Amino acid sequence: MRLPAFADREWRTGWAFAAPGLLTLALVMGFPLVYAALISVSSLTLLKPMLQPFVGAKNFVAVMSDPLFWGALWLTVKYSLVTVLGEFVIGLAIALMLNRTVTMKPVYFAVLTIPMAMSPVSVALIWRMLLQPNLGIANQVMESLGLPRVDWLGNADLALWTMAAIDIWQQTSFVVLILAAGLAALPRDPYEAAEVDGATALQQFWYITLPMLRPVAAIAVIIQLINEFRTYDLPYILTKGGPGTSTEVLSFFAYRRAFLGLSLNEGAAASFVLLLIVLGLTVLFFWSLERKR
Amino acid sequence: MQLKRSLISTLLGATMLAAAGPAFAEPVTLRALMEDVPETQIIEKLLPEFEKETGIKVEFEKIGYGDMHDKLVAQLVSPESYYNVLEVDFLWAGEFPAAGWLENLKPYVEKSGFDLKPIIPSMLDLLGATPDALPILPMYNYSMGLIYRTDLIGDAKVKADYKARTGKDLAVPATLADYVALSKYFKAAGGDVVGAAMQGQRGDPNSMEFSNYLFSAGGAYLDSGRKVVLNSPEGLAALKLYADNVQNGAQQGALSATLDDTMRLMCAGKAFSMVTYWWMLPQLDDAAKCPAVAGKLALSVMPGGHGESGGWGWGIPKNTSDESKAAAWKFIEWVQSQKISVARALEGHAPVRSDVYTDPAVLKKYPFYKTGLEVVASGKSFPIFAYSAQYEDVLGAQLSLAAGGQAKPEDALKAAADGLTQLLNK
Repeated sequence: MRLPAFADREWRTGWAFAAPGLLTLALVMGFPLVYAALISVSSLTLLKPMLQPFVGAKNFVAVMSDPLFWGALWLTVKYSLVTVLGEFVIGLAIALMLNRTVTMKPVYFAVLTIPMAMSPVSVALIWRMLLQPNLGIANQVMESLGLPRVDWLGNADLALWTMAAIDIWQQTSFVVLILAAGLAALPRDPYEAAEVDGATALQQFWYITLPMLRPVAAIAVIIQLINEFRTYDLPYILTKGGPGTSTEVLSFFAYRRAFLGLSLNEGAAASFVLLLIVLGLTVLFFWSLERKR
Repeated sequence: MQLKRSLISTLLGATMLAAAGPAFAEPVTLRALMEDVPETQIIEKLLPEFEKETGIKVEFEKIGYGDMHDKLVAQLVSPESYYNVLEVDFLWAGEFPAAGWLENLKPYVEKSGFDLKPIIPSMLDLLGATPDALPILPMYNYSMGLIYRTDLIGDAKVKADYKARTGKDLAVPATLADYVALSKYFKAAGGDVVGAAMQGQRGDPNSMEFSNYLFSAGGAYLDSGRKVVLNSPEGLAALKLYADNVQNGAQQGALSATLDDTMRLMCAGKAFSMVTYWWMLPQLDDAAKCPAVAGKLALSVMPGGHGESGGWGWGIPKNTSDESKAAAWKFIEWVQSQKISVARALEGHAPVRSDVYTDPAVLKKYPFYKTGLEVVASGKSFPIFAYSAQYEDVLGAQLSLAAGGQAKPEDALKAAADGLTQLLNK
């Protein structure tokens, strides 16, 4: 006779060990999530802080019928793709170089970790000073090289990409660390076989390194994609969403709704849309990864 | 028996200590979130005097304006606010009382006998005072005017060049159009001095700055019946001139600049003028801080006759203890007294009491306080209602689009006026 799962001692021990962690997760993640979900379908604002009455999808409709929402969504997609691509390409190049380096490796890693260890707010403030168009160092360097001064954050066509470059500067080290760990763990045998077969370095990279690194790279990409979709600190400090709406990404849009518009309910609705997009991307990414395996 | 006796005496001792609790209680510490501006530093210098007089400790947490609203709101909606005395901007004077976050200070005034008469009535109105309620007591004003370089406007070579280029005599501008033309002249002259240091970052910076242009051009946000009249010929003229000055008179990067950026630029001697708070003059006219421009600056009412009027006030949050509230009022009463207001004014404070503007010691040290009073008296206000902070953002986005050339001024102005109507009806 087969016993029910809960009667099994091992099953119960497993759950007993997992319970504290699951309970903590339920409290620190589950509760705020459920509360935010409730707010998003309520009439709660900062001026009327009560959860009643239930208004259904009204807040979602209000948010999604705002043309600024779609503009912010498109900017977020563009920004996320560019930053993740930039971080991945630069990160992979640095990781490959570090993989071949023998001496002073810990020093390189320590230096690379510095931007990652800094808070995005500090990073934004430092870059804001460096890029100050009239008194900042960046333009003074440009001028000394005979190049024209650039309006890094005040030009509507350039501001988003300046922000993306700052983000890439800070986040690339995270990608480097993950990819470097992945490269270090790759087996040597396929390379030795490829060398015997006369494969060039480029062929080895394309046919051996990249395919074997794919699971680790996928993790790095998905973590960064989630991070970039949630970007908030940089536009808040650097541009406040401007000039115009040229740097108003979705998380900043949600913040504006919640705290400037005093509509916590609409802010929560916008955040939930963001959450669903990120969740969808994550599922899609893992599904495609599993399918290729 | 021995054990029983020890237990009883321990219990008795504990009960006595508990009963004597209030006598041994820590004195109240007042905590305020303050904007990191000279006014805060002026008060901070005087705090030891208050602490000595009352035994109440006061702690200021200084941050930039842009972060204040969110930080305060988070505390005001919590069960107990960490900040027990509040510095409240006039832009929140509709929102905070409407949300029920502030104590009515009227009973405190009546109980303590604090005299409200010397306080400039427009400052009380600006901060939402009514015959029945006083949610916020004025702290200092930040009406805006024009600060300009006297050395440049008085320079013979500049005068001759200006006459040659424009056919007009160089003078302090009398209208907004004259001001923008002058600003553009300085930038076009090609030296290292631009015409205007402008704070064009979307939100509070550009909304406040544009309001001066609007009032100077004869426009308004609302009429006397609170109907939106922003989208008017005067409003359009103001927006066109604002965009023109950002593009052709201001420093590079004006669309991302804040007050700090404009101050640094003016201080470095790289701008002819700035539309700013009138009390910035002593901060810039300081040989130790700004040697490039000290002694070369003057203040005037905004060309056109009216600038943006603003002010900060003190409030007491409802979600603090009664003991804290009493201590907070004691502090507010002290800091706004005539004696302390004069002491503050001698350090550069922008008074809200008319008796300070006429104080001989103040006028002797700062003769421009006479012009300061004119700036305050002629100032007009941004619309104050529950969603003022959101409206700054709505307006700021449209101003930024128009000034950056991404939207036509006509379209931006219409969107800004529609946004105001929608928020007023919300």
